[in-house]
Amino acid sequence: MKPTLDAFVLLSGALFAVGFLGVLVRRNTLVIFMCLELMLVAATLALVAFSRFNGTGDGDVFVFFILTVAAAEVAVGLAIIVALFRTRQTIQVDRLNSLRR
Amino acid sequence: MTPLDTALLVLLAPLASAAVITLLLARRGSAASALSVLAAAIVAAGSLSLAFGGGRFSGSVEWLRFGNFAISLGFRYDDLAALMLAIVAVVGLCVHVFSLGYMHDEPAKARYFGGLSIFMFSMIGIVLADNLFMMFIFWELVGFSSYFLINHWRERKSASDASKKAFIVNRVGDFGFLLGIILCYWANGTVGLGELGAAHAAGTLAYSRLIPLLLFCGAVGKSAQLPLQVWLPDAMEGPTPVSALIHAATMVAAGIYMLCRISVLMVPQALLVIAWVGTLTALYAALCAVTQRDIKKVLAYSTLSQLGYMVAAFGLGSAGAAMFHLTTHAFFKALLFLGSGSVILGCHHEQDIFRMGGLRTRMPLTFWTFTVAVAAIVGLPGLAGFFSKDAILALAYDNNPAVFALLALTAILTAFYMLRLWKIVFLGNPRSEAAGHAREAGISVTAPLVLLAVLSAIGGYRGAYPRGFEGILSQVPEAGGATHAVVLGASLFVLAAGAAAALAFYATDGTDALETRLPGVFGFLSSLRTSFDTAYDAYVSKVQQRGALILNFIDVVGLAGVVVRGVGGAAEVVSSGLRALHTGRLGNYVYWFLFGVAVLWAYAAGIL
Amino acid sequence: MTTLGHPAFDPLLLSVAAPLAVALSIALGLPKRYAVKLAYVGFAVPALMALIVWWGFGEAAKESHGYAFLSGYATGLDGFGIGLKFGINGISLPMFVLAGLVGLAAGLYAIQSNAERMKTYLLLLLVMQAGLMGTFASVDIFFFYFFHELALIPTFIMVGVWGGRDRTYAALQMTIYLTLGAMLSLLGLIAIYAKSGAGSFDILVLRDTLASRPLGETTQRHIFGLLLFGFGILVSLWPFHSWAPLGYGAAPSSAAMLHAGVLKKFGLYGLLQIALPLLPFGASHWSQTLAVLAGVGNVLAIGLVTMAQRDLKQMVGYSSVMHMGYAFLGIAAGSILGAGGVVMLMVAHGLSVALLFLLSTSVYQRTHTFDMDRMGGLAQKAPALAALFVAATFASIGLPGFANFWGELPIFVALWGFSHALTVVALTGTVVSAVYGLRAAARVFFGPESAAFSQVAAANPTLDLAWGEKLPALLLAAALLFIGVWPRSFSTEINRALGGAAETVVASR
Repeated sequence: MKPTLDAFVLLSGALFAVGFLGVLVRRNTLVIFMCLELMLVAATLALVAFSRFNGTGDGDVFVFFILTVAAAEVAVGLAIIVALFRTRQTIQVDRLNSLRR
Repeated sequence: MTPLDTALLVLLAPLASAAVITLLLARRGSAASALSVLAAAIVAAGSLSLAFGGGRFSGSVEWLRFGNFAISLGFRYDDLAALMLAIVAVVGLCVHVFSLGYMHDEPAKARYFGGLSIFMFSMIGIVLADNLFMMFIFWELVGFSSYFLINHWRERKSASDASKKAFIVNRVGDFGFLLGIILCYWANGTVGLGELGAAHAAGTLAYSRLIPLLLFCGAVGKSAQLPLQVWLPDAMEGPTPVSALIHAATMVAAGIYMLCRISVLMVPQALLVIAWVGTLTALYAALCAVTQRDIKKVLAYSTLSQLGYMVAAFGLGSAGAAMFHLTTHAFFKALLFLGSGSVILGCHHEQDIFRMGGLRTRMPLTFWTFTVAVAAIVGLPGLAGFFSKDAILALAYDNNPAVFALLALTAILTAFYMLRLWKIVFLGNPRSEAAGHAREAGISVTAPLVLLAVLSAIGGYRGAYPRGFEGILSQVPEAGGATHAVVLGASLFVLAAGAAAALAFYATDGTDALETRLPGVFGFLSSLRTSFDTAYDAYVSKVQQRGALILNFIDVVGLAGVVVRGVGGAAEVVSSGLRALHTGRLGNYVYWFLFGVAVLWAYAAGIL
Repeated sequence: MTTLGHPAFDPLLLSVAAPLAVALSIALGLPKRYAVKLAYVGFAVPALMALIVWWGFGEAAKESHGYAFLSGYATGLDGFGIGLKFGINGISLPMFVLAGLVGLAAGLYAIQSNAERMKTYLLLLLVMQAGLMGTFASVDIFFFYFFHELALIPTFIMVGVWGGRDRTYAALQMTIYLTLGAMLSLLGLIAIYAKSGAGSFDILVLRDTLASRPLGETTQRHIFGLLLFGFGILVSLWPFHSWAPLGYGAAPSSAAMLHAGVLKKFGLYGLLQIALPLLPFGASHWSQTLAVLAGVGNVLAIGLVTMAQRDLKQMVGYSSVMHMGYAFLGIAAGSILGAGGVVMLMVAHGLSVALLFLLSTSVYQRTHTFDMDRMGGLAQKAPALAALFVAATFASIGLPGFANFWGELPIFVALWGFSHALTVVALTGTVVSAVYGLRAAARVFFGPESAAFSQVAAANPTLDLAWGEKLPALLLAAALLFIGVWPRSFSTEINRALGGAAETVVASR
């Protein structure tokens, strides 16, 4: 049975939700990052599905942009996390609260 | 030199003297005193030449204008002004010369003579003023001069308090005075004395009961009538010549003078109030004088009493009688004060009469001149005081029997306390060492005494005055027929009764016979004297100060505290609420982010 | 319409530019002794310019609406209708002279005061002086506000750094409170500009525009209300006065002199020069409220509060709040007479309160306290100080012979036409002010020496006024006497200037 567009969108939505929940709940910064990537990938998936089912190539082109941006963002983000670990010796998000007050 | 120029010279000479003393001669006492006496001499010469010249004039110049309102300064030299100016000038010169001797060893002489000069300037301004605003200006300046001179020995707390009291009580009177002037301006469109007189003659004057009574408030303050009389006895803290000039002869008489100036505004109800205020003041003050030990305080209360007579005379309808008594009173009261100054000087600054005595033989000139003055004030026939007091009693007898009775009673008391004073100070044996060594002072002290004694003697005879004063003197009521006889009899009786009682009752042994023999009466009279001061002090401390402190509390705690800091506090509450959002925890921020997205979505979907 | 042009010698621009130039050179690092000498020039030039303008005002061509010495300079803000325009009329002339004289006195006093960081202190005072001269010389209402802020900011700094007790809190409170007032006024001024449609902040243009097409009644009410409360806060109208006693109690002497003496009058001047002529209907609508607030609040309530003060400087501060009540009452009375009295009172009060603050500081230098209960008998050691203080006290309570009398009397007369009850209230103020004024003088100077003072005097000998203190004090006292004896020196021009201004208010009743 050929999967319908609905299935792809549903999968994408579910992946996004899982990723978002992970960002909300998980305490390890690296895991939060992974969940962010998950959200991005979910959006990518939705785009590919739409482009396939509409027969245009727009969504595919978009994917390249997203992947590029995601890569750059991950590079910067991981650099920040490493620097943070060097000064704070921790990457648990609930202990990184010196912006409070 | 036209009369106007002479008047200008008379007004400005003392001002120039005061200015020069302040700027240049502040440490040169002798030069300052000479300059001040010179100015007083110029004033005397000018005033008398104007008086004997007989001319009348007026003139004014606009000083300030806003829209339709203008204040102008000008002169109005009519009969009334001529008489008053002459009195001020003559008594002023006597006091200036007397001060040369009395204040000879005083370190702050320059300041004293500067004060005398500024007083002369202010007083002459009141006399010559041709409109009420100008009179008010100089009225306040006279109040300042009085403050300045009472405060002469300013190291003493008593002098400092007395000067403050004098100015503030005067200000209370001035409050009413200024209100009356403002009302008069709005009612009549003018405060010029000439214009008011013309309106009165033409029948277009706006009469009201309030305006003359408010203007009378000024006289109540300046002439120390009930209930604002409390400052005058305290004012004796000033040097004795100051008491003679300001608090006996001239400044306090300014109230009477002002009343005579505004007589066109009077209505019968106001006059009745004025008459009663004067009468009650006269009686009250006479009662207070009976228990005094300080020679100057006796004379102060005597002045209060005689001022009451003048006010009552005006209230009974005769400005002439008031002015006549003002004139004679100026002479013999100044003489009494200067005489007391001579006594004080002779007894080495002793002012308690029970530590004097026997001065009849030791200071004969002072004794005789003082006797003349006492005789004048108690109304010995032939002397000045007899005629003027008689005129008032006659007026009272014809118009208001109750007032007549009270004034007659006051006359008995006057004779009583004056003879008490005379006997205790001059007769008997000296009761202290200082009194034993008393000597007459120099000529600068004694010459004015003699001059004033002569004036007190002849001042009752119209012929003694220059032709120019006829206008006023003709207004003095002459009692006719039966009234004349009754009043003459009454005044002789009161004189005899009071004098005999005093001479018999008091002994010259250094004790106050009233205090020892009738302590109840003495106590009552003493408490009568302090009653007003006690009441005012209670008002100030319990009502006024407390009110001020309460308002201060409300202002500091309520306004500044609650409102201002409250607003700040509210801002702080809001800010700490907002600060609570800054948890520094990523999870919270993400939740808020989610919340914001939901709001935006709802808004976009049209739900919000 | 002021064409943008200026004569070769512009005394108004010079009076603003000279102190600013000196301030700039001090900021750029002039050594201290040169800085002090140059500061003399910086304070003297505005005073000199003021006297030149005063002297020449009678004959100067009254170019329009009674303004003389008009000049304009391009600033590049013409697109908004803003231009640096100067001019003097009969109402701003007395204020301009006041600013020059008090500025000179304050400057002289500051120079001899040996304050710490003298250069910065003088720099701030010079900037303040420039602002004061500019405020009263401005014909453009935007620059009127701008110069006011220029003068106000240094005040905050001076109070906060060089002040006395409680200076941090006092400076903070003054800053926030007065900025609030200034903001409200700015809103009002911009509202006038916006609603009038004149396209210019120039007051002459606005006058012409609004004379031919006045603003609607509701608009006038709202804008005048904004201006009233904005200016009112700046002039310590009750109940917005709490900043004044605390601020003046903490302020250093020269700052207090300039602020209480001159800067505080900004609001009254603004009401007279801008709000009353342009918004006559609004003025008559608010006059009752203003009169009650001023009469009952400022005169009566604050008068009584002043009587309860123990601290000399706080007493002077509160008394200045009280006297502003008279000024507001004069404005509320709404006639030429009342307005004329207000202008005279502004000048007189400015001079007398500056003199009182100056002398209070001199008293502090000798007794090391502001608490009047610990003083007494100072006159014996410092007679000249005593004489000047008593003179200043009598001036401020309205004794004839000093300028204040010619301010208060017209206000009282005018007030009777407006409200009988308030006139009685205002007159009781004369008794109240006499009570606290004379009480203060007696406590500080007369009577025997107090024990506390004797202790201080034993440690360091008490000297009478030095020439550095005497000169500014005599300057102010002489000005008070001069205007007091010859009020026509200002009143003729004031009267002429008001001939148009106040009549519009009366007509709209």
